[in-house]
Amino acid sequence: MTSGHEREPIGRVIATEALPAGPHQFYFWTAIETTIGIGAIVRVDAPGDRSVYAVVVDGKAYSDLATPLHEVVVADGDPTGTRAPTRRTEVRLWTAAVLRHEPEEPVQPVPLADVFAADEADVEMALRMDAFLRSATPTGVPVGVYRAGGLTAPVFVDADFLLGPESAHLNISGVSGLATKTSAVEFLLSSVFQRLPEHRGSVAAVCFNVKGPDLCFLDQPGTLTEADRELYATLGMDPRPFERVRYFAPFKPDGVNVNTLRSHPDLLGSVQPLVWGLNEVLGYHEVLLNRDDIDAKADALLDFLIDRVVEKEFRDEWGGTHRVRTFSDLDRLFRSVFDGLESAGRSDVWRTHHIATMRKVRNRLINISTRCKGLVTDDGSVSDLPFGAFEDRTVYVLDVAGMDQLAQDLVFTRVVTMLREQLERRELGVDHVIVVVDELNKYAPGDGPDTYVRRMLLDISERGRYLGLVLFATQQFRSQVHRRVVGNAGSVLFGRMDMDELATPGYQVLSPATKIKLATLPKGELMVRHPHFTQPVFVRFPRPSVLSGPEGIKRFPPSTDVPFDEAVGRQLAAMDRRIPATRVRDAIAGRREEDVRRALLATKRTAPDDVFGYFIGALGPAVPRERVATAVPVTPLRSVEDPYAP
Amino acid sequence: MCDAVQEAGGTVSAGVPLTHAAPPVAAPFASAKHVEHPNIQAVDLGAPDPSPEQVGFLDGIQRYAVEGRIGLVPVVRGYVAAAVLRRDHGALRAADSEAEEFVVVPLARLDATQRDALQRTGLELVDCEAAERSHPILDVQLAAKVVEERRETLERRVARRQLATSGDAWLVVDGSVTDLVGGSDAQRVLGVIKSHETQFLEGADLDVALTLPAHHRTSVFARSGRRATVYTWYLRLWPWEEHELLHGLVRLERAAFPETVTEATAVSRWVLGERAPLAARDGRWDRLIYPVQQVETYLRAQVGGWW
Repeated sequence: MTSGHEREPIGRVIATEALPAGPHQFYFWTAIETTIGIGAIVRVDAPGDRSVYAVVVDGKAYSDLATPLHEVVVADGDPTGTRAPTRRTEVRLWTAAVLRHEPEEPVQPVPLADVFAADEADVEMALRMDAFLRSATPTGVPVGVYRAGGLTAPVFVDADFLLGPESAHLNISGVSGLATKTSAVEFLLSSVFQRLPEHRGSVAAVCFNVKGPDLCFLDQPGTLTEADRELYATLGMDPRPFERVRYFAPFKPDGVNVNTLRSHPDLLGSVQPLVWGLNEVLGYHEVLLNRDDIDAKADALLDFLIDRVVEKEFRDEWGGTHRVRTFSDLDRLFRSVFDGLESAGRSDVWRTHHIATMRKVRNRLINISTRCKGLVTDDGSVSDLPFGAFEDRTVYVLDVAGMDQLAQDLVFTRVVTMLREQLERRELGVDHVIVVVDELNKYAPGDGPDTYVRRMLLDISERGRYLGLVLFATQQFRSQVHRRVVGNAGSVLFGRMDMDELATPGYQVLSPATKIKLATLPKGELMVRHPHFTQPVFVRFPRPSVLSGPEGIKRFPPSTDVPFDEAVGRQLAAMDRRIPATRVRDAIAGRREEDVRRALLATKRTAPDDVFGYFIGALGPAVPRERVATAVPVTPLRSVEDPYAP
Repeated sequence: MCDAVQEAGGTVSAGVPLTHAAPPVAAPFASAKHVEHPNIQAVDLGAPDPSPEQVGFLDGIQRYAVEGRIGLVPVVRGYVAAAVLRRDHGALRAADSEAEEFVVVPLARLDATQRDALQRTGLELVDCEAAERSHPILDVQLAAKVVEERRETLERRVARRQLATSGDAWLVVDGSVTDLVGGSDAQRVLGVIKSHETQFLEGADLDVALTLPAHHRTSVFARSGRRATVYTWYLRLWPWEEHELLHGLVRLERAAFPETVTEATAVSRWVLGERAPLAARDGRWDRLIYPVQQVETYLRAQVGGWW
């Protein structure tokens, strides 16, 4: 550490009755030409080995001009006139907020002493990073570099406060279009993966890609400048893309073209379909059915179905035996019950459930497979995240950008619930999971209806840190997110902010100059709030070393949708280029599409060495179609008035 | 009243109400000798000119306080300081400064023990005149006179040092330059006098001088000082109409060289340019140029508790 006394001071603390120096804030002046500015860290040395570290939060310049009128008078009202031969005496007066006193006690006003620009050791002390960088079990994770006065120093956050258990979660705010939020998340994930110490356990990330191609190319190297590489070197990081990324995306409604922008033939093989059946969906009926649907009666019926019917052998009162695995099976059960009740003609109640309630629940549930087509199938085939076998330092990207809101909510809710349950049981395969959510203001709005998704986000934010379930969430307007969700984020990053947003009450603690700086932050610069930092600090981070969404789309243009047989051939070819499309076309000719889909899904899920052989095996032998001479008439259901019908 | 004054051919003043009679003027009149013109004339200067590139500004301050009395004898603590601020590309920077602190007391009225006690303060003991009879006010005034002389001496010392080291730079002095025009550097010294207690002109000459329009100077004339004769002329920085006769009126002094006369208009023009920035925080802003005010501010800041 360089002693402050060995360097030239850049200013001096001043105190007047109107501008006193306190223990938390003080004022100092510098030369007109100075290297420091808003966000710079400074150090004040007092006699007796006492030092105070502070960050500059405001600055003023003024001269001894009593009133602007005096300038007008001497210029004869002509601003183009001759300049005054003497420049007025001018002051650069800075306001600094104290970051740390050393020693911590007694807390006293800042001494009226020389002010020095911080060096690297000072930055470490000022931000209390010594506590977690110099301990026996260091837990520092780079968040960016501090830059001021010619100094570039790495800034670390404490992993115990980023991933738990002390505090957890990260919230990022910033206006759209400046690539700050997504870039920051990508960089920080990379930072955590590269620098989280072994003794803090394993970590994986689950990213919900909710719009565009933002997170579709995390495994591809991006373009970095020399300056970026220098920043990586300063932070002790390797500028490389993520080594292990697994992509999941649902099918499009055709059930065979994958619903993702990562559909270029070179990349398609690494995208695993995300397909769920009745069993995966039914437990999350609260997400799928709006609140008006779920009254106590409907809830009771759904619980009955989950507990007693689904995946069990169920005998109805009319001699039928059902094993419900798919939506079709469920529909058959409902029809059987409706037929039974009608033929008996005795009652509108089945096992305490009114037939109207059953009709409503049936309609809503069967409708799910239509609304979430591509994600939810009716044929019992499932392709899911590897719950129970999550791997360390692996990113799991769920590309739900092409799905409607309901399906996105379903994916989010089920995945997070599964993660939470498995983390609780320590069965997930990793110790920490970072859940990356964009557009938090949409999922956990400060006002609006109390949705299941919002309740779940609240739960994660309040209890997730004990489980290792960590939320990295971003939004444009922090003020529009539920207060408890953002309030529980231990670390907060701010990119460039909108002035309207900065005028909201949540930013009252920031000085006007800090707000102005936030409103004009360049790309790649952030303001960081972290439990160890007693004041927000500005840092610069390098461009993430992955291919950005727009660049990725240029380099790997998405494939256009193709007919069923061609799509199957393309997906198999993505797994094994030697498989000719004609061979696939011949193999699936005349086969039912759902059988082909099931076989394709099984092949992709298994990823066997002999792709085509496995696919043919999964497809099974062709069963000749039986031609039925006449259609069996269906008895119409007895008309019952549906009290919920519009 | 204003109408009546104007009707009588007069000029309306500001009409600032006063409560006390002005203190008596020690030397109200002195003689002058025409140099530039046979009679004092008003010379229109036109627009201001830029100042020379290298200019230093000298001023001094003095402070004194009666720290106590030994019997009836006042013990006066004195402080004097002088500084030069040099202008470099518009910015003023301290080029030289010096300060003295001392005790002024009529030593003849103290015994050896009392003098020893004062000497133990570590401050220089400076003798002052002792009146025949003790007087609580006059005794202090005599001590104050010593403080003033010390300040003038200090200013001269700093000015000479500055002239010796500043190459071709001009030195603008707040006040008379009669004590500074003896050396070879005298041509670079310009005095700016704000007070007009002593009138050198009379009759029509005085009338021209005191009713000088803004942006005008008078003809150069000579006046004799304590140690030398200097050339001098009046310069009106700001219009005096609706104020008072002396509003915006300064008198410039230079050594009595022929160039002083030929350069009077050029020098007046750049001094006119010194009106900006306005030294408006000072009550004497109409006659005080900003750099000199800054020297005062600099010296006051160094005085600390001696305000």
